[in-house]
Amino acid sequence: MDPFELLGAQRRYDLDLAALEKTHRELSRALHPDQFAQSSASERRAALEKAAAVNEAWRTVRDPIKRAEALFRLEGFAVGETNEPKPSPAFLMEVLEEREALSEARAKKDLDKVRKLAADISVRADGVKQKLAATFEKQNGSRDRAAIERALPLLGELRFYRRFLDEVEAIEEEAFS
Amino acid sequence: MNLRKSGLMEIFDPKAPPKPIGIDLGTTNSLVAVVKNERPLAIRDCDQVALVPSVVHYGDRGAVIVGRSAQRLAAEHPRETIVSVKRFMGRGADDPETKRLGPYAFAPPKAGEPNVVRFDVHGRAVTPVEVSAEILRALKRQAEDELRSVGGAVITVPAYFDDAQRQATKDAGRLAGLEVLRLLNEPTAAALAYGLEKKQNGKFAVYDLGGGTFDVTILVLDDGVFQVRSTGGDSALGGDDMDRALAEEIFAASGRESKSATPGEVRVVLDISRKVKHGLTDATVVDVESPFVSGKNIKITRERFDELVQPLLARTGTAVRRALKDAELKSEDLDGVILVGGVTRVPAVRAFVAKIFGREPLADIDPDEVVALGAAIQANLLAGQGNADDVLLLDVIPLSLGIEVGGGVVDRILPRNTTIPSSARSIYTTQEDHQTGFEIHVVQGEREIAADCRSLAKFTLSGIPPVVAGMARLEVTFRVDADGLLSVHAREERTGKEQTVSVKPSYGLDDDTVEQMLLDAIDHGEEDLAKRKLVEARVDAHRVIASTKKSMVADPELLEPREQAKIEAAILALESAVKESDANRITLRVDDLDGATKEFAGRRMNRAIAQAIAGKQLDVVEKTVEHAKGIENAHAHEGVRDESSRDVTSAARASQGSR
Repeated sequence: MDPFELLGAQRRYDLDLAALEKTHRELSRALHPDQFAQSSASERRAALEKAAAVNEAWRTVRDPIKRAEALFRLEGFAVGETNEPKPSPAFLMEVLEEREALSEARAKKDLDKVRKLAADISVRADGVKQKLAATFEKQNGSRDRAAIERALPLLGELRFYRRFLDEVEAIEEEAFS
Repeated sequence: MNLRKSGLMEIFDPKAPPKPIGIDLGTTNSLVAVVKNERPLAIRDCDQVALVPSVVHYGDRGAVIVGRSAQRLAAEHPRETIVSVKRFMGRGADDPETKRLGPYAFAPPKAGEPNVVRFDVHGRAVTPVEVSAEILRALKRQAEDELRSVGGAVITVPAYFDDAQRQATKDAGRLAGLEVLRLLNEPTAAALAYGLEKKQNGKFAVYDLGGGTFDVTILVLDDGVFQVRSTGGDSALGGDDMDRALAEEIFAASGRESKSATPGEVRVVLDISRKVKHGLTDATVVDVESPFVSGKNIKITRERFDELVQPLLARTGTAVRRALKDAELKSEDLDGVILVGGVTRVPAVRAFVAKIFGREPLADIDPDEVVALGAAIQANLLAGQGNADDVLLLDVIPLSLGIEVGGGVVDRILPRNTTIPSSARSIYTTQEDHQTGFEIHVVQGEREIAADCRSLAKFTLSGIPPVVAGMARLEVTFRVDADGLLSVHAREERTGKEQTVSVKPSYGLDDDTVEQMLLDAIDHGEEDLAKRKLVEARVDAHRVIASTKKSMVADPELLEPREQAKIEAAILALESAVKESDANRITLRVDDLDGATKEFAGRRMNRAIAQAIAGKQLDVVEKTVEHAKGIENAHAHEGVRDESSRDVTSAARASQGSR
């Protein structure tokens, strides 16, 4: 099932998530099993199945990585780390340096430095998201497949940034306790 | 004299529908509530007390005593009186909880028995499910004294309860002869009671510290929708741990080792500790006489107590920070913090909550009663006696669900804080040539390695024709229902071989065991059970007929003439079966009607989706609707193809070993 279609959303990266959250809420109001507690088993089952599908669609669409993956798939490209082209050596070098800086800051218990690194990474992640938004924007009513294919490595970059930020969270949590 | 019950205006109507009830099955205390005249009320006993201590005493002649009377017997019969049984629900026989300071003796499971905790009581093995069922039965009786006829029940559970703990709670409800309408998370229940009271929209945190469990839930209230954004906690952290810390203090001050104390001494010291904890809510120092050295006074100051509970509070702080992060909110974004649980009366807890959230918490509804009141409201809605259109609870799973893949690593299928109901599937393949079986190990938790997570179930899909590694395709589907309970479905795509498990085997009791316990619990078991089944089948049949007729009137244009004739025939057949007294026949006819309405139900749901989307889009983005629909229609055929390409992708990503 196309998650965008299920939520009545346009198939694009740049979406009004606040408006879609409201749509998800309206769909839940219409489909949640609680609303069918007094209904027949066939309706309860049908509602449960649809409510679960709507929740799955919303989970996909609201997440920046899953949303991008879904868009690539809908354009016929396989995603997942083994299917995507390898990231560029330049990106890998950069990544290595950032990681080293993070472990250094962690070892020194330099929380300010850790936060500074996280802020830089967040800015770069936002840059990647803007590129994805542009990639899935329509030009004269259709999408540029070649451009979409070229954008595939952006997924790997986004995943790296997320892992980096997860690590930062773990370091902050460690510092608190 | 009991004035409340003598109300002359209240005329008993024998035809009144059974009243649905809400039950807070707590670690220390339990209570039951009902909605009366549109207001939730705790049901009190003849002494006007609502709280029933969650204590069960097993007499040596088979008598079972619950509540305050049982509590009074605890010191004298520490092994036969089970206190805080909730801490043992859904736990394995070797769980760390069984090794903590407590007076019980445990019986190891016999060969072939499920791996659950068993208390050794008078040489008889009693499971926590059975003990909890005794508490639920007592609450049901209390409700029946007040309401005459009790309908279904909503039972609350800590939000952080895992699948095994939820399943155990549901089993206890069934064992107590209750129709469990829903398991409801305690913080969500509390929010419901608060939200309906205040009619306020906004973002709220619920800090729920009970006798044995801690939950924190962040939720958004918007026009009657209570959407849980995130939940966190610790299902083995609560007021009991404060009592234990105080108990160690008393043992030490008396020059005694807690490890060498008798079960009776442990019970006595734990009871004194609880009283000290209560005393320190208002007093700054409490004197107790040592139970070991007569005449020796032990002074416990609030300052010392605060010090003892700091490590416990710090653990709640970690959970709070993570829940806020998961909800993508900061404490200053919140509109209020709600306190739940008797332990939140401890001044150190209040001070801690105020500090971590940067605001004074709300506690205007009795923190002991608020959960049961919320459960009663939800029970009323589910029984069709409230205005269900106005209120909706959207809850989440507290811990990620996944399966073990190659190398003992967890592949997460549903991440924590996923809104329920939910489903997700993942494709796996064989790691070795000629592998003929998949072992599927279902786990719950946040750790990367399966051995560090909670093991929920293991099952094997066998009989797969031997092929080269990577060629078999196993599709695993996880489904979590509105109770937060998981079922797992596995299917090998080439052979069509499949298997479904509701996740019970590892820690739970299977259906046959529960049925047998139910029979054992009732005098003239078989006969009573048959009667009950007939009554239940008839109630179900009437409900299904009424609901089907209502749907046919609501959406006649979605029915094809032949389909309509089929449904009408099935209704007639069911109506005649109801007039006889064969429960199985009624159930079969209900199934027939169910089959006849299957497609109609599907079409109704699709219409509901279209209407919900259209309604919203007209409100919000009227202009883009037509545009968007155009795009989707153009791509509709692609959606099908893309679905299959996604599966191949995940197959390549993950692999499932089976050795």
